[in-house]
Order: sequence, then structure tokens, then C-alpha cells
Amino acid sequence: MRRVEQVMGFPVSLRIDDESASEQTADPVFAWLREVDARFSPFRADSEVSRLDRGELTPHELSPDLTEVLGLCEEYRVATGGAFDVRLPGRGLDPCAMVKGWSVQRAANLLSGRGTSRFCLNAGGDVVAAGGPWRVGVRHPERADRLCTVLEITDGAVATSARYERGDHILDGRTGRPATGLLSITVVAPSLTAADATATAAFAMGAEGVEWAASREGCEVFAVDAERRVLRTAGLPVAG
Amino acid sequence: MQVEVTFEGDKISSVRMLQQPNHPQTTAAVPKLIQETLQAQSADIDAVSGATITSDGYVTSLQAALDAKG
Repeated sequence: MRRVEQVMGFPVSLRIDDESASEQTADPVFAWLREVDARFSPFRADSEVSRLDRGELTPHELSPDLTEVLGLCEEYRVATGGAFDVRLPGRGLDPCAMVKGWSVQRAANLLSGRGTSRFCLNAGGDVVAAGGPWRVGVRHPERADRLCTVLEITDGAVATSARYERGDHILDGRTGRPATGLLSITVVAPSLTAADATATAAFAMGAEGVEWAASREGCEVFAVDAERRVLRTAGLPVAG
Repeated sequence: MQVEVTFEGDKISSVRMLQQPNHPQTTAAVPKLIQETLQAQSADIDAVSGATITSDGYVTSLQAALDAKG
């Protein structure tokens, strides 16, 4: 079965190949992502994130989920020397970059935990796949109708950060300026939490982010720099 | 620790740390990166990874074509 819904501001496509799958199989995935949007969106005044940002909640009043997300944000801030930062000066708390990968991985875990074994979940360009092989194309950074590589994923995640969809939306927290050192970077990792955070953090770092991402445990990297050169790790699972 | 040293004449102009083995931010040795040329291809695929797409962008995307194919 397949389903596409707009959640958290982007389209989420779910394909389940288990023969026993029905429409109900997909329901918990979309229900969870809508819940995440309500709880963690900085664009909703009543979300937990907005309430924390206004000082209406103290750190020990936070849900375990938000505590976990903010802990991951801090881990990546430290690991990138401040390039990845969800608390930029003059801006509100915005953990969206971490919430996306974390919540979509949790959605995939919901499916696996209920016995679904063959699925491909694509949340606006971030992919979690199980029971493959699945062929995941990486969008060409300059041509929306073309791919620049095709990956073969059995169980794992693929995330891409780039400027071609939403412009200069990723800031280098060290300078507060848009990150422009890369055209796009794609990270393959065992979980989307790691893949998405690593891709976004590396994009924020710019050209030096490629080597940094390649050094992260379990991560394989495909990057296109500002001069259109491709840099990739030897272990990248390129489809034959 | 691996460092990259840039010289101007015989003076060091910059020193950059490439690797810090005992630092928490480095969880594995930096693998050697392979350099390639950028390709534009089309292929039979199940999903497309790309920058977080907008609903407008989705309409004309490869992923939308895959979803419509069913």
C-alpha cells in the first residue's frame, strides 16, 4: 500500500510492501507525525517548544521526548564547534532540523515494532527504508528531474541537505550567516536521526563538513561542493 | 593528531586540525574521500532523497511521479 500526506510542512510518502498491510497499518505513522508537529513546531504558539522558548516551562518540566531532542541538539552543537545550533542569537528556539529526522525514525520504529518488515518512508526527501533492497535516488542539486547517484539501502536511512528547495535556510551557527560551502550533502546512516542531523550539521559547516560527516560513526557521505565536485566515502552503498 | 599546515614563503600562515583522536567529536578515523565528477542520470528507483521539499516543489518532483505510479 502507499499513502502520501502533507505533515509538518512537507509531503510524507509511505510505501509498505508487506502483503498483510492495510490502510490501518499506516495510520500510526501519520498520527505520530501530526502529534510531533503539534508538540514541537516553533510556528505554533501553544507547542511545547514555543512555551519553553517563552520561559513558560523550566527544563525539568519538559517531556522526555523534548529533553531527548534538545540533548541531541547539544551533542551536535558541540561536535560541530557551534556550526549546528538551534538557539541562534536574535532568533527563537528552532529544533526543526533535529525533530524531523528523530521523529521520522520513531515513525519507522512504530511500523517495525508492529511487525511491518518491508517499507520505505520518505519525509520530504529524508528516507528510512526497511526490508530492502530499496533503490534510493539522490536528487541532482541543479536539476530537479535528474539524479546524481542511486543508492541501494536494505535497512537504513538517507538524508540530504541542500539549498535548492528552501534557499539559504541553513545558517552556520559560528557566523550566523547562510552556509554556502556545499551545493548538497547526502548522508547514509543506520538511523534517520543520525543521517539527518549529520547532513544538516555538515551543510552548516560548509566544505569542511564533508570530512567531518565522513568521520562520524556509521555514516557514509555523498557531497557536491560549490565547484560541483563530488566527494564521497568509499563505503557509500552505490546501486549497481 | 593530524594537522594541515599552510606556508606563505617560509612562514606558517595557518594550521588546521584535521583529526583529534581522543576528542569526543571524532568517533572514527576520517576515511579517505573519493573525488568524482557530477553526473545527471535517470534510473529506476523507489524513492528520492533531496533537500526538504515544499508542497509546490513536490508537485513536479520525481518522488511525486513515483507516488502517482502506485
